[in-house]
Amino acid sequence: MDDAANSGISEPLDLVKLSLGERVFIKLRGDRTVTGVLHAYDAHMNVVLSQVEETIHIVDVTEDGNPLPPRIEKRNLEMLFVRGDGVILISPTQQ
Amino acid sequence: MDSASPQPEEQAAAAGSPSEFLKNIVGKRVKVRIGSGVDYHGLLTCLDGYMNVALEETEEWSNGRKTAEYGDCFLRGNNVLYISVLEAL
Amino acid sequence: MASTILPLELVDRCIGSPIWVLMKNEREFTGTLMGFDDYVNMVLKDVKEYEVTPEGITETELGQTLLNGNNIAMLIPGGRGPKA
Repeated sequence: MDDAANSGISEPLDLVKLSLGERVFIKLRGDRTVTGVLHAYDAHMNVVLSQVEETIHIVDVTEDGNPLPPRIEKRNLEMLFVRGDGVILISPTQQ
Repeated sequence: MDSASPQPEEQAAAAGSPSEFLKNIVGKRVKVRIGSGVDYHGLLTCLDGYMNVALEETEEWSNGRKTAEYGDCFLRGNNVLYISVLEAL
Repeated sequence: MASTILPLELVDRCIGSPIWVLMKNEREFTGTLMGFDDYVNMVLKDVKEYEVTPEGITETELGQTLLNGNNIAMLIPGGRGPKA
């Protein structure tokens, strides 16, 4: 792949490699997202993050089965290991 | 595809085969649909035998609405339902 | 045993012809089969994607498409889809 414009990205994992030490956004299965500083990753996309903010999107259901408006829950974590099989998407955050 | 078993990359790739298709679509505008039905539209930077994908200028579409934009984005291959080209080959 | 045929030989004979792909969930695809690999990842052209819901079938047209073999349940050689 001779794409000079992509500053040395020749396989998808290079995009993750270039994000080491940077803040990344990760979308996970189960309507969860996390952002944090990327410290380590492997081929499974197991990931270690620090200064993490986790966001969970919850849709509660009333007793008769109707969905309530979505609710967002956040929490902050100092250090986090994410198991790779839950990962959908990783993107370096803007700025 | 099981993430423990990458595609053998150096085989005599027949015309029209998946590996040949993947070679031909790098740099093209693609739509990647994942199992949950969410779509990612973007410029295909590169991909590998696990169908891991790197996209540029990515838009996330869900239920007919744009839900996010990412400059660069890595999609883990096991989630990929299909990769479809949005422009002529 | 002279008449036995491997499953993937049948798929190979479909190259260049219409095929109907049923996924493990309520999703179906039709298109012309361009090629496939050992995982039965498939390259299709002139693709239509169908989502079968209780409200009906939604249809999406796609260009040349690589379909991940992981969620394929069944293949129907020559099949033209749920609406044909």
